[in-house]
Amino acid sequence: MTTPGLSFTRPVFAKLSPHPYLLRNLSPSSPGARPARTNGRAPQEARPVHINASSLSHAHGSALVRTGDTTVICGVRGEILPVERIPQYRPLDIRKRHQDEGGEGAVEAAVGRGELKDYDLLVPNIELATGSAPQFLPGVPPTPLAQTLSTRVYSLLHATGLVEAADLRIWYDHSKAKGEEREDTNMGEQEEEEERVEGKEERVVAYWVLYIDLLFVSFDGNPFDAAWAAVVAALRDTKLPVARWDLDREMVVCSRTESRKLHVKGLPVACSAAVFMEKEQAEAGTAVGEGRHWILLDPDRLEESLCREMITMVVDCSDGETRIKHIEKQGGTVLGRELIRGYAGVAEGRWKEIRGAMK
Amino acid sequence: MTATTVPEAATGVLPRADGSAKYSHAGYIVTGSVNGPIEAQRRDEHPYEAHVDVIVRPAAGIGGTRERHLESILQSSLAQIILVKNFPRSLIQIVLQIEHSPENDYVNTKLVQANLNISIMPALFQTSVLALLSAGVPMKAIATATAVALSHQNGTKQTIVDPSPREVETAQSVHVLAFTSHDELLLAESEGHFTVNEWDDVYETARKVCCRPTTQKEGIAMVLDDEDASGPDMRHFVRSTMESKVATDLHWK
Repeated sequence: MTTPGLSFTRPVFAKLSPHPYLLRNLSPSSPGARPARTNGRAPQEARPVHINASSLSHAHGSALVRTGDTTVICGVRGEILPVERIPQYRPLDIRKRHQDEGGEGAVEAAVGRGELKDYDLLVPNIELATGSAPQFLPGVPPTPLAQTLSTRVYSLLHATGLVEAADLRIWYDHSKAKGEEREDTNMGEQEEEEERVEGKEERVVAYWVLYIDLLFVSFDGNPFDAAWAAVVAALRDTKLPVARWDLDREMVVCSRTESRKLHVKGLPVACSAAVFMEKEQAEAGTAVGEGRHWILLDPDRLEESLCREMITMVVDCSDGETRIKHIEKQGGTVLGRELIRGYAGVAEGRWKEIRGAMK
Repeated sequence: MTATTVPEAATGVLPRADGSAKYSHAGYIVTGSVNGPIEAQRRDEHPYEAHVDVIVRPAAGIGGTRERHLESILQSSLAQIILVKNFPRSLIQIVLQIEHSPENDYVNTKLVQANLNISIMPALFQTSVLALLSAGVPMKAIATATAVALSHQNGTKQTIVDPSPREVETAQSVHVLAFTSHDELLLAESEGHFTVNEWDDVYETARKVCCRPTTQKEGIAMVLDDEDASGPDMRHFVRSTMESKVATDLHWK
């Protein structure tokens, strides 16, 4: 009679004790074997990215991003916000328009960013669909993860200045309108207002508000990188219809045929990694160098659940020089100065991959 | 307490909490309370360690997505320095109430803002560490944090420690770094645009503020006076706050 051996199949082992399972994979006992993660990747190997732009027919811009089993779809929809609906609206100085057209410098960009923030012209929202991962249950309020992600996307949108306020302004050009039609007496209100700001024949009548909605179709770790890539790809794909102020109807009308591409500045790419410690539930502050660690690029759901320390770096190399836009490192003390410096190189490599996928 | 530019703190300000602290620095005033270890809710219970729960309440209105993000950052950092394994299946709750934050006179103030204001993080961080010390929660290290802004003005680079909201707005990049008392980098948040070398300079500046070495002289920690220009010494500040607290507590002896 043979006694049943106490060995498990791989999936059972992974389920029962995930930490030793991942550790065994990363430090194989036989010297010939290459250390690999449970998903077969090398520690510093990210999943390939697939980006499909314009997948939604009713959005002004959209993109579907897939990295491994993380799939996120992003739709951008523009809505018109008339200035009279904005509380505490401050009319824009007319000279700014000409400066914008001339491509002005940093001061102008700061003013534009103020508009985007003050009037909330960018509204990102993230939904983690039920069934995209087992931990997301139906009928619950947005999880802390979804809220954190949407704050991060919102902050990064403003910090990188990806969208320019100049693209979202809808102008009324008085001199052009005059040639087209005679003014009626019932236009008195507008006239008065224009006379008050004398000599200024152009003014902003409305803004485009961009609703950036993200939906996770399937969730397998590293949500921020995928979400951010989807936002950038969708904004690059966005075409807003040409809008003008109609004096007779006193409303903004959009052209059916003409549309204008949104000008997206740069190509910031997010690159995340998690730090896997040899000792389970290792804590900071204990002796340095205790236990080995691995930096796992683009972690999946199993790896994320086993790692505490995470780093996200957003880089943009589109000017030739690597500019860091954002660093977020939390939850541990392994990543010090040298490792973060080195991580910039890893993020650069990821930037090239994403740029390739965007084309 | 009024908002101050230099750090100021008081511990044990709330009579019914296990531990509490009030901290004022760079125009921010934050009150924090710590309760724990207490019984955890079923869903938060962890069989091997204590659950650290951080709640951030804004100065006006109710917490939104921004506060959730701040909470998650603080939670993951504080869980690293608290000896969570000493209290399995329990909860350590940290509540942080922002009482005052400096205003930027150049922009409209809005009640609800989704944008993350990372310059508030040092104040929240310091308050929670002081409140944890006041509650006597076992920790393996303390941590100190600071905010640094980099700005380019008239072609010269400027490093500003504890920037004001206006300086944050005009700066090229804003950074928050936290170090443990073992001089390890616990938290790093950066925003704006900068290069690796600029980040390195920021790291050095923040390290000077957070981990300035103290020279032992006849058993008393002394601070070197020659580095006054590089901002406050946070580690010494936490230490002296706790020392004065202990001194008043043992006054009766």
